[in-house]
Amino acid sequence: MARIELVGLSKTFGSVVAVRNLSLTIEDGEFVVLVGPSGCGKTTTLRMIAGFIDASAGEIRIDGRVVNDLEPRDRGLGMVFQTHALFPHKTVMQNIEFGLRMKGMPAPERARRVREVAEMVHISHLLDTMPGQCSGGEAQRVALARTLVTQPSTFLLDEPLSSLDAKLRRELRAECDRLHQALKRTFIYVTHDQEEAMTLADRIVVMRAGEIVQVGTPMEIYSDPANYFVADFFGSPSMNLLAGEIVQTNGSGRFRGAGFELALPDGFKSAPAGAATLGIRPEHVGVTLGGEGDIALPVRLVEPLGRDTLLYFDAGAERAFIAVSEGLDMADVKVGARIALSLDPRRLYLFGADGRRLAPS
Amino acid sequence: MSVAAVPAASIPSQASPRERSRQRAIRRFRWSILAPLILLLAFVLMPVLFLQLYFSFHQWTVYLGSWWDAEFVGLDLFREVLTDPRFGWAVVRSLAFATGSTIGCFVIGFALAYLMRRPFRGQAFYYTVFILPMLTVPVVVAYTAEMLLYQSGPINDLISRISGIDFKPMWLTDPNIALPTVMLLEIWNWAPFSFIILLAGLAAIPTEPIEAAEILGASKWRIFWEVELPLLRPVIFLALVLRFLEAMAEFPKTWALLQGGPGTATETLPVYIFLTTWQYFEISKGAVMSYLVMLLMIVIVLFAIRLLRREKQSLDAMYAGQKAAG
Amino acid sequence: MRKSRRRQLTAILRYVLLTGWAVVAFFPIFWMISTSFKPDTQWFAWPPFYFPHPPTLSNYLNVWFGAEEYAATQYAISSQKPLISLLNSTIIAGTATLLSVLFGSVMAYGVSRYRILSETRMFQLLMLRMIPPIVIVAPLSLYYSTLGLLDSMTGLILIYFLTTLPYAVWMTKSFIDEVPREIEQAAEILGASRWRTIFEIVLPLIRSGLVATFLFILILTWSEYLLALIITKTQVTTLPIELSKYQGTTEGRVYGRQAALAVGITIPLMIVGLIIRKHLARGFSFGMVRR
Repeated sequence: MARIELVGLSKTFGSVVAVRNLSLTIEDGEFVVLVGPSGCGKTTTLRMIAGFIDASAGEIRIDGRVVNDLEPRDRGLGMVFQTHALFPHKTVMQNIEFGLRMKGMPAPERARRVREVAEMVHISHLLDTMPGQCSGGEAQRVALARTLVTQPSTFLLDEPLSSLDAKLRRELRAECDRLHQALKRTFIYVTHDQEEAMTLADRIVVMRAGEIVQVGTPMEIYSDPANYFVADFFGSPSMNLLAGEIVQTNGSGRFRGAGFELALPDGFKSAPAGAATLGIRPEHVGVTLGGEGDIALPVRLVEPLGRDTLLYFDAGAERAFIAVSEGLDMADVKVGARIALSLDPRRLYLFGADGRRLAPS
Repeated sequence: MSVAAVPAASIPSQASPRERSRQRAIRRFRWSILAPLILLLAFVLMPVLFLQLYFSFHQWTVYLGSWWDAEFVGLDLFREVLTDPRFGWAVVRSLAFATGSTIGCFVIGFALAYLMRRPFRGQAFYYTVFILPMLTVPVVVAYTAEMLLYQSGPINDLISRISGIDFKPMWLTDPNIALPTVMLLEIWNWAPFSFIILLAGLAAIPTEPIEAAEILGASKWRIFWEVELPLLRPVIFLALVLRFLEAMAEFPKTWALLQGGPGTATETLPVYIFLTTWQYFEISKGAVMSYLVMLLMIVIVLFAIRLLRREKQSLDAMYAGQKAAG
Repeated sequence: MRKSRRRQLTAILRYVLLTGWAVVAFFPIFWMISTSFKPDTQWFAWPPFYFPHPPTLSNYLNVWFGAEEYAATQYAISSQKPLISLLNSTIIAGTATLLSVLFGSVMAYGVSRYRILSETRMFQLLMLRMIPPIVIVAPLSLYYSTLGLLDSMTGLILIYFLTTLPYAVWMTKSFIDEVPREIEQAAEILGASRWRTIFEIVLPLIRSGLVATFLFILILTWSEYLLALIITKTQVTTLPIELSKYQGTTEGRVYGRQAALAVGITIPLMIVGLIIRKHLARGFSFGMVRR
């Protein structure tokens, strides 16, 4: 069993606080993804779990045991690095069996295990080559194999796909998923790519400026963002966020944006007046040609993508207001035309001046 | 994966006139860049080597006046040199000196580099102090050493005070320890050189494979032997080879300070050749010795080239994929 | 506290060892400086004086400025030429180094972009420099005497140029390799000739590398002893030779004066070396260190 608890974890480098009072419990077998922009502290956290960085404060517990003072090799973890970190002077085979050699496993047994693992990640044909001869994707598979073969209770992955091109990334992402299903071990995965987080995670830990902003399943993170930052970070194309203010007139709330106004749905009737941001995801914006809608905006750009068409509207801000329409029906819309848009009231989000989400009552 | 660059020469022969004139321009350019080197070699090095060869076969002393009066003596001179025990001893001393000081420089340089490979407080200060000996002109090292190693000098004084025993060896005047003493001077002077090279090599080792090894269960010792050392091989060879070659040529510390003495205790090859040519005025004998030493060095050098090239190629191969993966 | 305790002990051990060698490294230099300020009664004293008591400038005044009233010996007065040697050293070292870096960097460009020398040839070039100069000094001096280059600055400059060229090529090549080729291609499209590209585009971009190479080779030529010994006689002397002249006196060792001269020779070099200390590693790598 490998339950990992981070209790009040902090790390300061000189005057910079990289991680601030972070507490998190990761259950055995979970696939947890730490996600956030560069510098948010996710890699630092991972490395503290691994043992390469000493925590300035707080505890790291594995199965209830405090491991702050243990060397990385004694923590029973496995790690895959961003730059695959293979030993360039050893063959792929020698790379993979390295961990087993450190445990004193005899050669025949090692060879057997290595072959098994190589099969699992489809690199059996590379066993006698040097890392320098492998492509990026192959090298990363070897790195995976090297860790897999030691059967650690927990896998740490530090942005393993960042240095690969888009197609390879998708392939290896599927691979990671498959492995997790097969092995049922704990995976702690760090990335800055929200798509990876959404597809791989059982639970997502969103981090920013050294702190946890929200923890939840991908569904929760997507549909129930805790604040502006989370809402903006997840989703492609990003959620539409319109700045404006809430005005209360005669007991019913209205949202006034740049160039439009609309009535707030029932749940927000009593929302406090003041500056606020309205959020709605592009896929929840309905486009009705020549019909009635909640707001009408001029078209800035039309992007027919095949499966969908993206329509960019001018909402009085630098950032376009995007609506997604299925198929290519909307592909002929003219730039400049004013189109009525209906906003699904169940999918409206309101964020206060401080960024936090205003919950519907 | 690597994409080989297509060299200009492999462009198919039915090149257009523009292509051809471009080729010509490139060829002219290449030659004009090489010109200074070729001129220097032709007008300075070649004549010198030729003269050297000439005097190896013609007996000539200063009193003879013109060079061309020298009589041809065939291989007599070679025989004389090769049977000269003093020459043999000089060879032995040079090799011993070079080997000893190279190993010393390496051990100290490596120890220092290894201790300094991770950043720590005061690192810059130590680095600065450590390179100072290398910046000391060798002649100055020689004379300062004399002051220090004077029998009633500070070094003996310090050691006596620290150890409590009356320590007064005659560093530079005792024939038995003169050569080792000069070796120590050489090590002091040039350890920084090895230090700098080895430190650069250690710094260039990527950290992630080491961390990977750590988490895979390797002890510090294992990591050193199996990961760091193999990746350091090219640099280690470089440090050893360069230092060895330069040590074979060492002159100021043995000559300026001791003139090869006491007696012939520090008479290395450069010193003996110097003596033969400028004090005994046996120009021809000196020429022969120079030639033999040059041949010896060329053999060592060719070996060194092959070694270094092989190391460089393995280094390139190891990191070839890394460049692509970024 | 196992991990942190071990960390502490390692750190202490590291400091002890490093400080130990730092003392060894610095002590001779300290002694040299200290002796240069000692009055002659303290040069040979036993037990030795570690600090001059009181310090005096007489050595410096005597050696560098020929102040007769401070001269301890007749000989000392008669060879008051250090300032001239200083000038000679500067001119010779400076010119030779300039030539070396100039031609060397152009050659390095040729090697880097046009492969005018193969990798083997490059190593052979380096090894050329590794042949002990002693093997050519004899015929060289004869050759020079026929050409009238003996005892001349030009002669010394020429040979220094030849022996330092390999270093210049190697060192500047590593800097040139890092200039992206696109920049040169842009210049070409805009109409620049090859030579212009070298001098107006590439070399200015590696300015700091050129300076480092220059200073490094300056150190080599400044401290060179053997070739200077052979080639210079009476007209020209360089500082290292000047120092050795102080040795050949019959009046006993003049430690203080030697030290004063030595300090004058060494301090400029140390300053130069410290300026370029960040580049030293690069200059010494010769392709063996991954960048």
